[in-house]
Parts: sequence; C-alpha cells; structure tokens
Amino acid sequence: MKMIVHDLENAGELPWLTAFGSGQDVIGIDNAVIRHCTGCFGCWTRTPGTCVLKDEYRHLGARLAACDEMVLISRCTYGGYSPFVCNVLNRMLPYVLPYFRMLKGQMHHQLRYEQTVKFNVYFYGEDLTANERQTAQELVQANSLNLGAKGFEVSFYDNIRQLKEVLS
Amino acid sequence: MNIALINGSPKGGATNSGFLLEKLRPLLPQEAAISTYRIGPKALKNEQYLELLAMDMLVLAFPLYFDAIPSHLLRMLTEMERSTQSSNQRPQTVRVYAMINNGFFEGDQCKLAVELIRNWCERCGFMFGTAFGHGAGEMFGSVGHVPVGSGPLKNLGLALEHLVGSIRSGESTEPFFTQPNFPRGLWKLSSTQLFWNATAKKNSLKPKDLRRRPGMPPIRLPQSGGKRQDV
Repeated sequence: MKMIVHDLENAGELPWLTAFGSGQDVIGIDNAVIRHCTGCFGCWTRTPGTCVLKDEYRHLGARLAACDEMVLISRCTYGGYSPFVCNVLNRMLPYVLPYFRMLKGQMHHQLRYEQTVKFNVYFYGEDLTANERQTAQELVQANSLNLGAKGFEVSFYDNIRQLKEVLS
Repeated sequence: MNIALINGSPKGGATNSGFLLEKLRPLLPQEAAISTYRIGPKALKNEQYLELLAMDMLVLAFPLYFDAIPSHLLRMLTEMERSTQSSNQRPQTVRVYAMINNGFFEGDQCKLAVELIRNWCERCGFMFGTAFGHGAGEMFGSVGHVPVGSGPLKNLGLALEHLVGSIRSGESTEPFFTQPNFPRGLWKLSSTQLFWNATAKKNSLKPKDLRRRPGMPPIRLPQSGGKRQDV
C-alpha cells in the first residue's frame, strides 16, 4: 500500500485523486483539520509510537509503517513542502525512535519499524528558481536518509495538469 | 534601528530558541529598539505582519524539524510573503537573520533550513543577512549557568559573534554551523540515559517500552467508485 499525502485543494482534482488514490492511504488538505506538532516528544516518551495530540493524524507513524511507498504531492514552497504537507510530515515523528544512530558520518534517528518505504516526491509550481529546485532535491534526500527510506525520487512540474498526466 | 526577535519554537515555556534569543539580546547594538514575537500554532494577526514588515531586521530562532522549518512557522512565513505582496511598505530594507538548533550533534544538519530561509527572503524581497545552525540544542537547558564563549558553549559564542558581526556591518555573510565543545559520543550517551530513558521512567515506562511498535489503526481507504473501505 502507498501513503499519498497531497495539498490539492481544487474540487476539480477530485475525480483524478479518487482514481489515483484507490485502495491507498490518502491524506489530503480536504481531510480533518490537522494540528501542528508541538515538539512535546510525547510520541516518544508518553505514548510511544502514537502522537498525543487527539486528532485524526495521531497514528501516522503506524500508518506509514503499513506502507511500502510514501508519495508526497506538494507545491514547492521556498524549496520545501507546502505548510500542509510539511505539517503531515512533522506529525510522522513517532515513525522513528528518539535514540540515535550514525549514518554517513552524521547522527540520525533509529527506526521504530523494520519495514522501510520508498520516498517519491512530486513538486509543482510555475516559477521555481534554480535554488529552490536544488534545496528541494537535497531536502528530499535528507528526509529519506532520516526516515531510513529504501530509495527516493524527486520530480518537478510547472503545474498540476502536467503532474497528473505523468501520474495517471 | 528596529529589530524583531522571533521565537519560532512551538513549545510553551522555556525553549532552546528562547535561550538563543536571550543570549543574543545583550550583544545587539544599544540603540536598537527590540520587539519580541512568539510564533505558536495560533496565527499572527494582520497588524503584527505589518509591524514585522516595518522592521529593519528580523531574527528568527527555531528548532529544526525534519531537516527543515517546523510547519507552524512555515505557515507564518507564507502568510508574511502574502503580506509583502499586499503591503506598500518597504520590504526591500528588511534584513533577515536565523538561529537554528537541532537535536542531533552536527550543526550543519541545519543547512537546508538556512537555504529555505534564504529562498523565502528572495520571494519576499528581503535581504538575507546570515544564519547559524547549532547542534545538540536540547543541551542548552542544562548549561544555562555556563557563560557563553566558554566550556560547552564556546562555539555558541563564535556563532553569536558571527551573527552580530553581520548585524552591525549590514553585510550578508555565509552561514556558520557548529556544535557544542564536547565529544559526539557523550551527547549520544547522555541523551539516551539522562534524557530519553529518564523521561520514560518519569512516565512509568521502561526503555524497552519506548521501542513499542503500534499496529495499523482502523482507517477507511478510498475506492475507485469514490466509496471508502474499512481496513
């Protein structure tokens, strides 16, 4: 199963999303209201593996662990994700452990689960600068390392129509 | 000279970002008029965005989340970009500085967050002054009594000097990344024993409990006909 996180707001995208996300764990901006991670570390030290914020996003760690691929569809924002996609990613903190391990000479988190995901990120935005593309590419690579992903891909599209053509 | 010190930590109470701002404050030019802002999950008011746009300098202090900017602060930055588009104030004069702390040891793990701030400045028409990234940020709370520039805070002294140098000269400089003056292995060990395992104990949990693997919760997956199926 794939986890698909997207920030597509236009109701016109719904038919495509329904087909693309059929049978997958789809998390969109049109779902329930999401709260921001408060950095309390409760997901590590109070209810290990589950966020303490009581909303529909508290089980994202376990939900990701049930998937073999994570797909992010996001407006490229300053070379990163849009606030919603970033928010969902922040709430995935219980997917990893608080403890550290060394990877490529740097400290990273140990993984909670044995399973790993492939990380596919589709950025869209009509006037992205070269610096934003470079930052986005490196950010996905860094996230992929931190989440222990088994691989990653990043691609850029000028608009949602282009992106849908590739994914359909 | 109007300077806004912006604490971008989502936590309540004392924060590592607040610690950095507190250490920076006495080093700022005496003639500066300093305002403080706290960016939490609640959005700023429109008039607060206008106040920020009227500043000469913004100093953002925040924790690293997933190699980047935490989502509540990112949302504020996007709102501020919108304000620059609708305001006729003078955003081109605003200079931006950032102090980023992360929970790993290496300060250079903050480098992408710096690039995001730099790209944000470009979108807003602001001038990127400089930034620093400091590792082992969770250590700050336990070394509050140590003078900056000595012991484990020796490198923090250099980082603050770097930032203040750019603030005083008005020139943009490349970011500075550093970590505390003690061995990385000691940070790994102390965070495990003195922080995570100790916090677990306070919560009546054992270290092995922190490794629990909750299973998939019941959710409804969408089906091609637009219906959702329970799993």
